Amino acid sequence: MNTLTVSIPRLPVGDAFESAINWMRESLSGLFEVIGLVIKTCVDALYGLFAETSATQFTLLAAAVIAGGLLVRGKYRPTLIAIGVWAALYVAELVGGVAAAVITSLPAVLFTPAMNLFGAEYVYPPLVLALLLLAALMAISFTAARNTGQELLAALSAVVLFVFLGLHFIAGVQLALLVMPLFALLALVVAGWRVALFTVLGFLLIMSMDKWDNAMSSLALIIVATVVAVAVSLPIGILAAKNDKVSAVVKPVLDFMQTLPAFVYLLPAIAFFSIGAVPGVIATVIFAMPPGVRLTELGIRQVDKELVEAGEAFGAPEMQILRRIQLPLALATIMAGVNQIIMLSLSMVVIAGMVGAGGLGNDVYTGIAQGNIPVGFEGGLAVVVLAIYLDRLTGAVTRFSPAARAARAAK
Amino acid sequence: MPAVRADKLYKVFGKKAGKAVELLSDGRHRDEIADLNVTAAVIDVSFEVEPGEIFVVMGLSGSGKSTLIRMLNGLLAPTSGRVEVDGTDITALPKQGLRKLRSEKISMVFQHFALFPHRTVKENAAYGLEVRGVPREAREAKAVEALELVGLAGWEDKVPGQLSGGMQQRVGLARALAADTDIILMDEAFSALDPLIRRDMQTQLLELQETLGKTIIFITHDLNEAMRLGDRICVLRDGRTAQIGTAEEILNDPANDYVAQFVEDVDRTRVLTASSVMEAPIPVVAPDNGPRAALRTMRENQTSYAFVQRRDRRLVGGIKESAVGKAVRENAKDLSALVDAGIERVSPDTAIADLFAQAAESTFPLAVVDGDERLVGVIPRGTLLAALAPPEENGADDAADGGAEGEEADGAEDAESAGDGAGSDGDGDRKDGAEKGAEGAADEEPAAAEEGGSK
Repeated sequence: MNTLTVSIPRLPVGDAFESAINWMRESLSGLFEVIGLVIKTCVDALYGLFAETSATQFTLLAAAVIAGGLLVRGKYRPTLIAIGVWAALYVAELVGGVAAAVITSLPAVLFTPAMNLFGAEYVYPPLVLALLLLAALMAISFTAARNTGQELLAALSAVVLFVFLGLHFIAGVQLALLVMPLFALLALVVAGWRVALFTVLGFLLIMSMDKWDNAMSSLALIIVATVVAVAVSLPIGILAAKNDKVSAVVKPVLDFMQTLPAFVYLLPAIAFFSIGAVPGVIATVIFAMPPGVRLTELGIRQVDKELVEAGEAFGAPEMQILRRIQLPLALATIMAGVNQIIMLSLSMVVIAGMVGAGGLGNDVYTGIAQGNIPVGFEGGLAVVVLAIYLDRLTGAVTRFSPAARAARAAK
Repeated sequence: MPAVRADKLYKVFGKKAGKAVELLSDGRHRDEIADLNVTAAVIDVSFEVEPGEIFVVMGLSGSGKSTLIRMLNGLLAPTSGRVEVDGTDITALPKQGLRKLRSEKISMVFQHFALFPHRTVKENAAYGLEVRGVPREAREAKAVEALELVGLAGWEDKVPGQLSGGMQQRVGLARALAADTDIILMDEAFSALDPLIRRDMQTQLLELQETLGKTIIFITHDLNEAMRLGDRICVLRDGRTAQIGTAEEILNDPANDYVAQFVEDVDRTRVLTASSVMEAPIPVVAPDNGPRAALRTMRENQTSYAFVQRRDRRLVGGIKESAVGKAVRENAKDLSALVDAGIERVSPDTAIADLFAQAAESTFPLAVVDGDERLVGVIPRGTLLAALAPPEENGADDAADGGAEGEEADGAEDAESAGDGAGSDGDGDRKDGAEKGAEGAADEEPAAAEEGGSK
């Protein structure tokens, strides 16, 4: 050894991290199990909704559209009562099989034609409940909310629903071709016909590449990750906007989270949740969260001080100022943060594929690992289609905020 | 009980605020404690605002007026001193109590309107009531009412961005009115508006105040605005009170050089009113007096005219010495045929600026009459001119006042042409005109003037 070499003590940084992880795993295993279970359930349910849509889900979707129309038109009470009764019955069915008992007690003639038509062997109680909810909402639309728009919406939803059910369960059209128009419809309503057209073409491309199921799996993962990331980053952003000290602490942490290579998150994620979709979601959440926090803080801080002062001067409590003044006015910026979260989640999906999160990431990872260029490229292309779809959708949602409406009116 | 009382208020920003208050209370200027690294915004300010009064806080930027107004509704806590609203010390109130106070007793109008851009005009106006938890229908009815008061009927469903600046501030005013508080704070409420609209808004505020009788604390840096709106004005300088008083007190009796300098450029004709410059109505005769008695009265007072009023002091008109003299020579018994009932009458609240045209047309001094047509004073033309001169020349002016009367007495035509000249001069250079008029009059008949003024 040369005389001038200074010996620098080896700090056990990595080992300390590992032992910290191990300690948390042992002492907080219950918590991680619950988190993992919740996330897994959500991802599976969403995947089921997108890729294996059941008749019940279609029915509930139609009911949701009608209920949405009723709520927009201010018919809160009957709508909420109908939904509440449905929810109560549904829970009762889940817990004690109440609906099933009622159905068995009813004469079989009521159900046999439908059973024969769909070739079903038994009556599925949740489907019956969903149909009842749909009928109730239809009745409300045609009696309580006498309004051509609402009646048209209700009738149209019902017709579309039965056409869909017929096409899929009787004629055997594949689900992807039925779900895709719904995505396109959403794009049409929220973002206009250009995005809708892109959705149709893009999703057809995904189907033709035989990536539909994987794409839906990734979509489910992204949505869950985004919801969790928003749910975590919004309160942190609000706290940071309200309090300079919180802001000073949060900022370097966010820097750290953003610059630490994304792969490194997989290490603790696997340690806590083993492999599968859950560590994928967790790693995605951590990686995608920072812009959400930053833009929430920025958005709230940017709201005109005089407006906040006006709220105070009229005696509004802090929470009310936040809810009715700061958040609505910061919404555009916050939505930009949500958009960023979604984009980062998409880029993380591929990395999550490495830990067995499935979906498009899996295809890309297979492509790399096996040198299978077609599979890898097609997976990547499907990610791009999803990315553009989600980006345009979230970008357009801001249009519906009161602030944006007011700004348009002011022009 | 005063609606708002400020008692030895201090607001000092910075870590050593307590020490700064101690030093400042000895009368030090805030620049002398610069080494403490504090900002002393408000220093030892005390005042009382009576219910139904418009109290104007006037000062240049940095004089602490915005800080002061924010202490009155508890948006800022004073470093030292008390603020009382309706007798309650609000500096001792907890947060919850302060919020209640602000939503029920004090509302505020902001310089840059501070309207919520994402809410309609109606929802903006209803905000105060919304905070208070009033149900939607009730609060929107109230908001529509307030919007009508400020002349915005039909705009309820627009958003603020669709309105011009003046209209936006009307919404701001409607929001404060709809909240139905007794006290309204107005923080440079009209400063961001262009001059014509600002004038409109001031007029509207005065009209509203007449019917609603709110207590208004108005902040401004515009002295003309302060003089126009304020029942009383508090002039702030570097955080301290320079003077508190009515517009006329501040104009005619400035407490120090700073205030004097400040009011130098004020358009006095818009601030001073007929009641502040009028003189005692002399001479007067009753309608049933004979021409001979009337002539004697005029001679005693050395005037060429007299006002005719009934026993209940209602003004009938004016008579001229020349006409009465003729009647006496013709041995007429009745005065009533000689009375000129069409002489110019003005109300005590008329600004001097609005008196010139009438003064120029009339051969009589202007008769100041109250709402019941009772004669409360007269304004000879000379007095009108003298009122234009800055206060330090007041002594000389007083002497000149009556002198003009004498001049008029000699020949109405002469006086009229002189009046015209003064009027047009006044537009170009008021001070000169006033001085000229005063000097000329004083030379001619100082003795008569003194008599006229003192009686």
